Amino acid sequence: MVYFIFKRLAQSVFVMLAVAFLAFSLFRFVGDPVSQMTGVETSVEDQERLREDLGLNDPFVLQFARFTGNLLQGDFGFSYRTRQPVAEMIVTRIPATLELGIVALLISLFVGIPTGVYTALRPRGFVTQTILMTTLIGVSIPTFVIGIMLIFLFGVQLGWLPTFGRGGTVQLGGWESSLFTVDGWRALILPALTLGVYQLTLTMRLVRAEMMEVMRSDYIRFATARGVPMGRLYFRHALANTLVPVITIVGLQFGGVIAFSIVTESVFQWPGMGLLFLESIRFVDIPVMGVYLVVIAFFFVLVNLIVDLLYVAIDPRLRIKDVS
Amino acid sequence: MTCNTFRNSTLLASAAICLSVSASAETLRWASTTDPQTMDPHAVNSAPVLSFLNNIYEGLVRRGQDMSIEPSLAASWEPLEGEDGWRFNLRQGVKFQDGSDFTAEDVMFSYQRASNEAADVRSWFAPVADVRVVDDHTIDFVTKAPNPLFPDSIANFMILDKGWAEANDAALPARDAENYATMNVNGTGAFTLVSRDPGVKTVLAPHAGWWDEAGHNLTEAVFTPIGNSATGLAALLSGEIDFIQPIPLQDVAQVESRDGFKVLEGEETRVIMFGFGHEHEKLLYSSDVSDANPFADPRVRLAAAHAIDVASIDRVLFRGKIEPASQLVPADISGYSEANSSRPDYNPDRAKELLAEAGYPDGFSFGLKCPNDRYINDEAVCRAAASMFAAVGLKAELSTGPVRDYWPQLREDDFDMYLLGWSPGTFDMEHPIRFLMHSQDNDKKLGSWNFGGYSNARVDELLPMIQQEIDPAKRQMMIDEVVKTTQSEVAYIPLYTQPLIWAAKDNVDLTQRADNFFMLRWVTVN
Amino acid sequence: MKEFLKRSEGVWLFIHSPAAILAALVALLTFIGAAFAPWIASVNPYDLGSFSLFDGLLPPVWQEGANPKFLLGTDDQGRDMVSSILYGARLSLIIGLSAMVIATVLGVGLGLAAGYYGGRFDAVVMRIADIQLALPAILTALLIDGIARGVLPADMQQDLRIAVLTLAIALSLWVNFARTARASTFVQMQKEYVQAAIIMGQRPIRVMFVHILPNILGPLLVIMTVDLASAILLEATLSFLGIGLPADSPSLGTLIRIGMQFMLSGEWWILWIPTLFLVALVVSINILGDFLRDVFNPRLR
Repeated sequence: MVYFIFKRLAQSVFVMLAVAFLAFSLFRFVGDPVSQMTGVETSVEDQERLREDLGLNDPFVLQFARFTGNLLQGDFGFSYRTRQPVAEMIVTRIPATLELGIVALLISLFVGIPTGVYTALRPRGFVTQTILMTTLIGVSIPTFVIGIMLIFLFGVQLGWLPTFGRGGTVQLGGWESSLFTVDGWRALILPALTLGVYQLTLTMRLVRAEMMEVMRSDYIRFATARGVPMGRLYFRHALANTLVPVITIVGLQFGGVIAFSIVTESVFQWPGMGLLFLESIRFVDIPVMGVYLVVIAFFFVLVNLIVDLLYVAIDPRLRIKDVS
Repeated sequence: MTCNTFRNSTLLASAAICLSVSASAETLRWASTTDPQTMDPHAVNSAPVLSFLNNIYEGLVRRGQDMSIEPSLAASWEPLEGEDGWRFNLRQGVKFQDGSDFTAEDVMFSYQRASNEAADVRSWFAPVADVRVVDDHTIDFVTKAPNPLFPDSIANFMILDKGWAEANDAALPARDAENYATMNVNGTGAFTLVSRDPGVKTVLAPHAGWWDEAGHNLTEAVFTPIGNSATGLAALLSGEIDFIQPIPLQDVAQVESRDGFKVLEGEETRVIMFGFGHEHEKLLYSSDVSDANPFADPRVRLAAAHAIDVASIDRVLFRGKIEPASQLVPADISGYSEANSSRPDYNPDRAKELLAEAGYPDGFSFGLKCPNDRYINDEAVCRAAASMFAAVGLKAELSTGPVRDYWPQLREDDFDMYLLGWSPGTFDMEHPIRFLMHSQDNDKKLGSWNFGGYSNARVDELLPMIQQEIDPAKRQMMIDEVVKTTQSEVAYIPLYTQPLIWAAKDNVDLTQRADNFFMLRWVTVN
Repeated sequence: MKEFLKRSEGVWLFIHSPAAILAALVALLTFIGAAFAPWIASVNPYDLGSFSLFDGLLPPVWQEGANPKFLLGTDDQGRDMVSSILYGARLSLIIGLSAMVIATVLGVGLGLAAGYYGGRFDAVVMRIADIQLALPAILTALLIDGIARGVLPADMQQDLRIAVLTLAIALSLWVNFARTARASTFVQMQKEYVQAAIIMGQRPIRVMFVHILPNILGPLLVIMTVDLASAILLEATLSFLGIGLPADSPSLGTLIRIGMQFMLSGEWWILWIPTLFLVALVVSINILGDFLRDVFNPRLR
């Protein structure tokens, strides 16, 4: 087990380096940061001097070596756009994205799993068909259209919920949280719903497919024949067996949630990492883009590691494989 | 503004509470699409930064509601005697926001800071030969040549406190890494910074010791950047913000149709135009003309100008809110050439004739480059123009992209024709002549945005004369000559002046200035 | 015989499912419309000379001020909405289908092999998948776009935008297939029939594709249907974020992105007609996917 974890950690470091490299190689193509950093009246000569000073004229390999070298020493550099330390910029934005992502994920699980189970058990019912149809339409509308529709319905027409930002936040030892104020929760509802609706449908459909598969399997039939109570049967036996793929999907979804939060954050002006990243792309803010990617890679690696460990914990059959 | 009524107490008392509260606490919450990148007045020469910081810092001169130059930290100024340049007599008794006194040393320090290599605004001081402190409240700016417009050109040159900057290790603008002045301020302006969370929220409060009489009634101003225009509009309509700049053209009717909101419309000073690859040997993106550059022929350029139907662009894409442009500045800018105020009319037949005369009776194909996130409707205008060009046989291969890689493409001469917008930073015709019409000359720092390499010896000769001429009539004659020449050679096709559209709640009174700067000192909330 | 049974069974099921019939009809009409767009559409929206700004912002025929020439009205450029939608659907389907096929082949192939061989090969594939997952779709698109810009000559870039976008979408979707295929393969590997096939000395390719693949199709089909839809939506989202197709060759997603500007301005048709069309198409694809899954996987009925 220790060996397993160690091996995965080593692989994780490799993943992060690869992401850093890929990320870095793309910077050269995004645009010219210097033309974004200077005003229209700045002379070509001054622009060239700035380019030289920032090391943008150096060979690619040298730039990459400097970037990773500094990163390993904990020096994340300074933003081209705001001139702030990048580490500080990203760290202050992490709570917003994580809180949004986790709430969206929870919505998708707490709604997705029960509806998935229900629609699997009553596959022909009217309610099932309605749920399936509604969620289908839900995922067929682009996220940004849904977000703006929600804003105009609940923010402008009904005036129930705020249209942008995080509302009231509380500082908890450097973690700026919006989960402890009514205002914060009100601001969180619409973005979390927008972000969660796609994942919700995915979870529901997956649980439904797995559940239907499991319900047909021999041991459930035996259990039914043996007279195991239905509730116990569904949840103890059947649902437990669908958990492996569901955990995979939750792991995958967390990635999806973080990736799609870029769109949601942009629509709701949600001050998270995704919004920061989008602003950085527009501005060709190379240091921020680079560090953002490495941080995202870190989250992925971490979540994947946890998913893999959970696998082993839930499905003992996988342990045999690992040993052999 | 909330007003607590205590139902059990006497009506009179509660009314009194309400009145006193509403008279004393007025918060303005406003939004714009971009956050100012820094609070340092010399680090970045961009409109969002200069606009925002003009509320906190002040220059020697400032612009009034109608854009005219008026005294600010300098109470008066006059030309130097015996040499070229200007003497500024500084205002007495001005305090910085931390309480320290404003003197000529602060101006000197700010000049050195702003003209340093680390400053992005140093081009403003290219004409300056020397700066001398005469006494505590007098300072001389000596210029290399006569420069009648120098005071006008430094309206955005903001003065910060020498002692404060040096004590906080911010003697130079932060170019690579932040310093104290990136997040903190100490100006003489009407407002001071209370808190700043970059990209999220910036809070300002009035500067109690401001030298001028406050024209506003605010006690607090909260700025939030909202990048997505639909979200910004929603925030206004739901009442979460009081004012937003700008709003999309097509949403004007929506805002106007609702009670309690108003739209402010004006003309910006930015003229949108097409430019050509004048000096290119051949077309880069043509499928039928590979050995020549038809745009080198002024008849072809004129044909392109006649092909554009600005009236239709105005009606459909801008809903009647643009002003057609005949030259590179709009009519209310100083130096505007009244004598050359007509533009080529929409005349597709004439365009076809001109193309035939030039040897292209069937037209030709070429590459048209456009930004898609820089100007209002930039991409739509280019699509419409491409369709209009196609009608006379000019087959434009349209390619659009974000401005982050648009400028590099223009700098690398990677275009046959391109779209550009220009706002004269000095609010004078000399500005576009210097940047867009003079031949490219990196040593003299001239023609730096003349991407197509338009070159005319007479224009080059006239520019320094225009810059130095004191007599307005003579100066205007020279400008008229430049405009006439560049019009007859169709150096550019000026299209229209970009509109300026802001929206606010009805109870907010504010001034919309043509440079798109939002000045808090003219805001009253009723 | 077995195949025939399956097929006739499918036909029987189909006839008795009104939803499937309706979905098939919508999808079929869309495919035909898209395939024959150049012959059906009254104008070619990619040909800048074929429309005029004079006709801009006309409403659909049932509204006042309409021009009967334009059944569903025109957009801000004067393009006929019907033609734009037909051409847009064509482009969206080309991108969505190609991206899905690439992602399926790549993902299922790698996932099966990873699940079958396990060990080092599995670790390498999964780490590549991790790298891919760590790059959100928007970044993959930027990266591919960037590399294309660096490698291809300038005049080809504009033409290859579609290929670049397709590849970017495919790359951001394959991991789903790979991970699901791998997880399911692991489970199947424990089953006797697979072990028996291996012991009998069948070649790995045969074991993977003949024995394992049919048994893991259920979850894969779910992902395929959902992913064809997401490919189409992802394209729209990328263009919303500013890295999709240029506005002069609009897909359905790009039409919606352009229409967003008119959401509140009164010209509702520019946004809602393409959106309704997209939703109808995507919902139909999903219903058909569900239906096909039922046919291929009788145990789920």
